[in-house]
Amino acid sequence: MIDVIQFLWPAFLVAVCLVGIHAYFGIMVLARKVIFVDLALAQIAALGATVAFMLGHPPQSIATYGYSLTFTLLAAVLLAFTRAWGTRVPQEALIGVIYVVAAAIAILLIDRAPQGAEHLKQILTGNILTSGFSDLAVIVPLYAAVGLLHWLLRRHMTGAGSLAWEFVFYATFGIVVTSSVAIAGVLLVFSFLIIPATIGILLADSLSRQLAIGWIIGVLVSAAGLAASFVFDLPTGAAMVCAFGASLALAGVLYPFVRGDRQRALRSTTRTVRWIGAVILAGSALQLAVAPRADQPLLDLAEWATPSLRRLYFTRAEAATYADATEYAERYRRQAEDLNERERRNRTEGQGLDDFAVARISSFLKSYGEMRKGEQFVMGEVRARARERIRWIGSLALLACAFLVVPVRWRRLSMRFSGRK
Amino acid sequence: MLLLRSVLLFALLAVASAAFAQDRVQVVTTTTDLRSLTEAVGGDRVVAVSLVPPNLDAEEYQPKPQDMLRLKQARLLVRVGLDYDLWLDRLLAQAGRPEISRGGPAYVDASFAIAVLELRGMSVGPGDGHAHGSGNPHFWLDPKNAETITANILEALARLDPANARTYEANRQAFLTRLNAKLTEWESKLSALKGMPIVAYHNSWPYFARRFRLDVIGFIETKPGVPPSPSHLAEIVRDMRARGVRIVVREPHEPERDVAFVASRAGAQIVKLAASVGALPGANDYISLFDVNVAALTAAAAKQ
Repeated sequence: MIDVIQFLWPAFLVAVCLVGIHAYFGIMVLARKVIFVDLALAQIAALGATVAFMLGHPPQSIATYGYSLTFTLLAAVLLAFTRAWGTRVPQEALIGVIYVVAAAIAILLIDRAPQGAEHLKQILTGNILTSGFSDLAVIVPLYAAVGLLHWLLRRHMTGAGSLAWEFVFYATFGIVVTSSVAIAGVLLVFSFLIIPATIGILLADSLSRQLAIGWIIGVLVSAAGLAASFVFDLPTGAAMVCAFGASLALAGVLYPFVRGDRQRALRSTTRTVRWIGAVILAGSALQLAVAPRADQPLLDLAEWATPSLRRLYFTRAEAATYADATEYAERYRRQAEDLNERERRNRTEGQGLDDFAVARISSFLKSYGEMRKGEQFVMGEVRARARERIRWIGSLALLACAFLVVPVRWRRLSMRFSGRK
Repeated sequence: MLLLRSVLLFALLAVASAAFAQDRVQVVTTTTDLRSLTEAVGGDRVVAVSLVPPNLDAEEYQPKPQDMLRLKQARLLVRVGLDYDLWLDRLLAQAGRPEISRGGPAYVDASFAIAVLELRGMSVGPGDGHAHGSGNPHFWLDPKNAETITANILEALARLDPANARTYEANRQAFLTRLNAKLTEWESKLSALKGMPIVAYHNSWPYFARRFRLDVIGFIETKPGVPPSPSHLAEIVRDMRARGVRIVVREPHEPERDVAFVASRAGAQIVKLAASVGALPGANDYISLFDVNVAALTAAAAKQ
């Protein structure tokens, strides 16, 4: 356990720093309605780094950072100037264009210097898991300085100030994004920026409260995402983004409870959940009736959770065949793994296998693979036939469940129907 | 007069060389390794181009319009196979040239008759680093496999250009003699690393490890294109500490940060190896590819 905490601790601290600055910028960005500006600025910074790389500067040099910064500042000028467009065309249009053109130019440049491809990818797909105290040493003073500057200039940062203040906003934001994207990747930085800020704005009115909610949610969700990625053995960045998505969904559900009539919110939530359940059940009933041999997501999920459900509709012979096939498929998989392991061990241990022996092993492996596929086919076929047999009764049962779940008052409906008659 | 004469001579030379180039067999290979091996067999009778430039990940290559042109002009196609260069299939379908498509007389799947390692049927094995079951496709990294690969190429070249079959045969023999002499040298140099545990970023090295009896105990990336999970990284670092791994192998196109993270935590050094011709300076052909890798590994082992 201590090992785990030691391992995730630096990544967590980095996440806290990123949440700290991005939740604030997120609120500002949402107010300006320029949601994807971070993607555009990150891509521009990457383009600057690519140009530096093409000119022969090493990836982590001051020159490269200088190019990145210059490109970002140029984009900031462009963004500040085009604010006036907002009255006729949404500024997001320009942001989208900056993003795609910067990405396309980078690809064209990289095409001339293939060794840069990985470099470009790294600028945009950082891995927060492998970040550490060296990153913190850079971002803590940088974010503190930017934060302080914004606090001092807080009156001018509302988005209503002059062009010069808008330039300061986009320039500082660009500097922050350039460093954060290199650490955490585009996807995660976008989540840090938008989701805590959205939740804050949903649940509170004043900037300070929105910020406080954004920070608390951001830190908690980051911790949850990191923990989930460790426990369930998942790629960290993707797991954290999904955790942020889930937190927003939860906030969306809680929103009417916090900001409105709780009784009504409860009623409408229950109705929605029941409608969703009914639609899924009715859809599954239809799927089973129309195409019993096709995938049945609901049934598959139920059987995956409780395999004993199969006993409800398998005959004894089918159950025996299915169990047999499962066992054999697993046995072939194990035997193939054993062979692979034996070959692997022999690379360094003992005499070493000659090519003939390796070829023999690989032909055995091929056969085991085929045999396993055969068993899996049998499993699928047995299940499909059983489902075909119960298609009508099964879909009727599912439909009955759907009727039970759907939030319609059948009696009142029928009374009204007969009354009209 | 002298000027006129030299212009005439130049024109004649240009025409002759163009005719000569036309006469040579145009070969398209998917990777630079196969290009080098094709050149070893074909000598000056072939002009070989590789679709994937050196140092790009051939498994994730995105073809360009020029590639279509190259395929249209090719008389012979040599590919890696084993699902390594899957993108080629769509390109071939578009090129509409049955003779260089699967089953055609000018189509060479270099993996034909190779003793494939880590075959897993069609299922995805746990932590094998490849999302396909056709076996590990990095077979050219065993220099012994060059015998089979060049035999496949020779057979096709002899079929296409029977007049020069003897030349091709002699070229291949000369190349294999040179390679075998080198192989003994590499084996003796790498004997210093025998049994020394090594960690690699991607599972590119089973054939290399088998030939030179290296012990690759784990990979940082378990599935191609998916960043490693924290529990996997923790496990790798734990294994590395427990078994005293001192070398982490990285190809130039693989992410530096992740490798540096693991290496620094386990106190290991990073060794950059080229899995393809041209991926590192000095790895200019098939033989120098191994020269560069063997030198990098022995230098790292000597630092211990």
